[in-house]
Amino acid sequence: MEDASRQTEIQGLLHELKDASSVAYREVEQVLPAIRTHGEDTALGWLLACRRLFDFDREAGKAFIRGSREAEQVSETVLPWTGQALEFLRWRGSWRALEGFMVNLPRAYGSLGHAGERRWAEIGLAWCARQLESGNAYFAIPVVDLSGRQGIAGIEQLATPAEELFESRKLLLSTYLAGAIRVRNLLGAQAILPWALRGADIMQAGRARGEAYFRLESEESLALLLEHLPGFRLSDRNRLLGMLLDVWYGEHFDLKESTWSPEKGRPFVETDGRSLFFPAVMPTRDEAVLAVLHGAGHMRFGTFDRLAMKEMFGAASVDFPDSGPVSWVPLFMRYGDDALRFQLIFDLCEDLRVDFRVQHSVPNYLPRLLASARAATPRPPEAAAYFDLALASVEEAMVAMRAHAPRGRQFGPLLDPGATVADAYRVAAAIYSNDELPRVTDLEAFHAAYLPGRGPNATRLAHPQQRQDQQQTQAGAEQQHEPDEQGEEQSETPQNAESGDQQDGGKRKELAGFGDTSGTSTQSGNRSDAQKQAGAAGEKGVPYPEWDYREQRYKRNWSWVQEKKLAESNMAETNRLENQYSNALKRLKKAIQAQKPARLAPLLRQMDGDDMDINAVVSYVAEKQAGRSPKPNIYRRRELRQREIAVTLLADMSTSIMQHLPEGGGRLVDRVRAGVLLFAECMEEVGDAYSIAGFCSKYRDNVSYYTIKDFEQPLSEDVRSQIGGMSGRLATRMGAAIRHATACFEAVDTRRRLLLILSDGRPEDYDDGGDRRYLHEDTRMAVKEAVARGVHPFCITVDTMANQYLPQIFGKGHYLVLDHINSLPNKLPEIYFRLRR
Amino acid sequence: MKTAVNRLRGVERDIVQLPLAGDTAPYYEPQGNEVAIFEAAYKKRLPVMLKGPTGCGKTRFLEHMAFQLKRPLVTVSCHEDLTSSDLVGRFLLEGAETVWQDGPLTRAVKAGAICYLDEIVEARTDSTVVIHSLTDHRRKLTIEKKGMEIEAHEDFMLVISYNPGYQTVLKDLKPSTKQRFIAINFDFPPEDIERKILVNEVAGIAPELAHQLVAAGRKARLLKDHGLEEATSTRALVYAANMINAGLDPVAACQVAMINPITDDIELAEALLEIVQAHFAA
Repeated sequence: MEDASRQTEIQGLLHELKDASSVAYREVEQVLPAIRTHGEDTALGWLLACRRLFDFDREAGKAFIRGSREAEQVSETVLPWTGQALEFLRWRGSWRALEGFMVNLPRAYGSLGHAGERRWAEIGLAWCARQLESGNAYFAIPVVDLSGRQGIAGIEQLATPAEELFESRKLLLSTYLAGAIRVRNLLGAQAILPWALRGADIMQAGRARGEAYFRLESEESLALLLEHLPGFRLSDRNRLLGMLLDVWYGEHFDLKESTWSPEKGRPFVETDGRSLFFPAVMPTRDEAVLAVLHGAGHMRFGTFDRLAMKEMFGAASVDFPDSGPVSWVPLFMRYGDDALRFQLIFDLCEDLRVDFRVQHSVPNYLPRLLASARAATPRPPEAAAYFDLALASVEEAMVAMRAHAPRGRQFGPLLDPGATVADAYRVAAAIYSNDELPRVTDLEAFHAAYLPGRGPNATRLAHPQQRQDQQQTQAGAEQQHEPDEQGEEQSETPQNAESGDQQDGGKRKELAGFGDTSGTSTQSGNRSDAQKQAGAAGEKGVPYPEWDYREQRYKRNWSWVQEKKLAESNMAETNRLENQYSNALKRLKKAIQAQKPARLAPLLRQMDGDDMDINAVVSYVAEKQAGRSPKPNIYRRRELRQREIAVTLLADMSTSIMQHLPEGGGRLVDRVRAGVLLFAECMEEVGDAYSIAGFCSKYRDNVSYYTIKDFEQPLSEDVRSQIGGMSGRLATRMGAAIRHATACFEAVDTRRRLLLILSDGRPEDYDDGGDRRYLHEDTRMAVKEAVARGVHPFCITVDTMANQYLPQIFGKGHYLVLDHINSLPNKLPEIYFRLRR
Repeated sequence: MKTAVNRLRGVERDIVQLPLAGDTAPYYEPQGNEVAIFEAAYKKRLPVMLKGPTGCGKTRFLEHMAFQLKRPLVTVSCHEDLTSSDLVGRFLLEGAETVWQDGPLTRAVKAGAICYLDEIVEARTDSTVVIHSLTDHRRKLTIEKKGMEIEAHEDFMLVISYNPGYQTVLKDLKPSTKQRFIAINFDFPPEDIERKILVNEVAGIAPELAHQLVAAGRKARLLKDHGLEEATSTRALVYAANMINAGLDPVAACQVAMINPITDDIELAEALLEIVQAHFAA
């Protein structure tokens, strides 16, 4: 009886549905039989829900009906989720959220279980209640993504901070969710809250900026991500990497940080033939070291060799430009849709060739590569084929290396010491034509196919390199082309006067000639300026000779040095630096105090004093008895020794110190100021006589020598604030400055005189006509003159290329290259104490 | 290895000791023509200066030469507080009498020994001027306190050693002192010779191990410009070889003998360790 009435009710509902929408009716008819297996009551409940939802919102109803079949299949229930669906009736316009809910429902049951599904729905419904848009966003995201394969706990990880942030900062889930999921995937759950809090702050400052942050598109967001990304931080460790390159290859490589961000997938070290570009972070130290060695290997072992590249392009019948950077794309274009497959094979061959050569320079390189590859996580199937083939090829190379065994046919030619990138191309083409390797379409799989430390070789425009023997013939043509290539290209002008120069109006023109002999007319404008300046100072300055190596003689009264007082001062900067380095200063002072007893060592054999010098007494008595009349200098005394040493710190104040540090964190001049300031404070503690000066130059007759602190002057506030005001201008005529500093020592009566020169580049001036050797030779002579006058010059430089010229100028052991600029402030006083020992 | 120096252990001996007939020569592996130069200088009794980095074999070379030339070797290690009486001699009290005691330099001058002033830059320049009259044609030592002078024994020879490096910029020798010497430059030996040295110095070390150690050491020296005060010396390699020979793991041995002693800089130590591991992990 009851059954019958239920039947009628069901039929009635079906009729109503049919009237409302024939499409909906048809769909219901398809699903209904499955629902009916749960009993007529359930079917009725379900149909009622269909009806109500349909009446409420046609879209909602359709979405519900459409999703029901699968939901029933997976959950094997009906009423629980029907009830949940009915909750959506509470909000107008909630059909989109309901649609998402129904789509995800089966997956929620599948991956979270019944209890988990309940919680998942509960969280989503709560968000719908808070703000419908957030609810939409929540239900639109696939459950697997939400949970991060961690079940309901994964969803709670996301939801809990979101609720807190909504309560405290009114941050919406819809803004936060997509970014939060990515942050969790990259950095782990603990990173979500700090990331989101920062985002909420930014959001308050500006909506657009905040949204970009949450989409992980803004600089701030990426920086924060990079900072918290786990793994080996190449950006912090590039000194170590530089040292390793230096050790294994015996040459300096240009290391730059690439713009890689976690969003771009797996991090790789890349090279364009001139520089190595490293990502901020790589998963492990081993991979990072392998990658940097491998990348440098490409540069070192001819991947970018012009002739070989040309041959390779020829083999592929692709045009090869005679100059300028070369794109790899045409090489792979020929393979159309299958380009990724060919690229993987080519990289595999070329990498093997390079790695085999690297092994000869870096012991244990291949075994390390193998160990690292074997420890790697399993790859997706299409990547695994390439990964395993690469692994096998490395193993083959290992065997070939150890036993001089016959080489495999496939990769053998690449292990030949004379193999080039063109050979790699040919081998790759052969392997490609065998057509055994699977197609790769997915970028992630493409990335995963590379062994640790290797990576796509064709990501950047290549800069073909000339081998030494080719260079002679083509050097001229090359020179002309290079500056046009790219904005990043450094021009051949004096690097110290590169940018920010306040009066470099006619700089380029002036470079045409040398000194006064040419280009006079173009210089006249600037010259009168300079003269005006000099006139204001009241004199032309002090003349010094300059050494001309071409004529092997001194030019008399050639360079003119004007001693000036630094006009700028900046007490605020000084105070900031004092604060920033207060700990370092404390430590240095403590170290000095610990050394003090040595300085206060008793003076022996004095004519008077507060103690007997027992050795002196014995020899006095002995000599007296021996019939001689020794001097009665038999006392010892603790007192400051007569000043033994005077030091001048001479800072290079050319434009180049204004450059921003490659590793970030301000400009070089900040470190210079800090270094000079710490040096001064330490010198006060030690008590040695010291002076501080800076220099810069523009032409031979305008060398400015800024005396910041004289030997006699106390370290006053005035001096301190001048140090804070140090800045860079013009160029580096070092020889004249050394001569002047040496002359300044004349007034000081000490046994030892030390001239510490703080520099960041080679000696250069606007009028050196591009002849670097001229000022090098002059500086070398200035150093010799200083030594002859009892002054020891010692150069501290932050120019990592300085090993190329400083040995000639200052002599072996009389200079120091600081390869870590940030250490300059602390190192400067330390170096002095080491020298003074 | 039995040498003239360690014949009598724990017994006080006079500093002037002629090598005995039964002794074996101290081991030295020539790198170039330094033996010939030294012999020529000795023939003409010219003073010699040995220049080179710490631990490259200067002292060993001299021990070897003294033995070959059959001259006693008197070594004085110079330091900051070394006075000229420490070199020349002083009056001592003995009862109511005073007794003159010759310093090591005077002893050598009298006995015709080779006097070796090790690391002479460490001494204050005023205390080393006493050697001036010994190093030119006069070959005389003035003993001011006694008011006497000694003509040097005809076999007497003066040798100084000196390590040019930036840490001693202010402690350079006076030019007037420097130019009185025949100077022989030393550096770390070439690869094959350094291997030979290791094999000879450390009995029982495998040639393969010596090969790896030397290769690692040579790479480590490339880091000198990155803030190392002293490069990895041949002596450090010998120490490392000894530690390995005593049963220590090669990487650990290199760490304690070649890395820890020369740097406190974490990055540098890491780079050095990287070098060692690359050579020994295979």
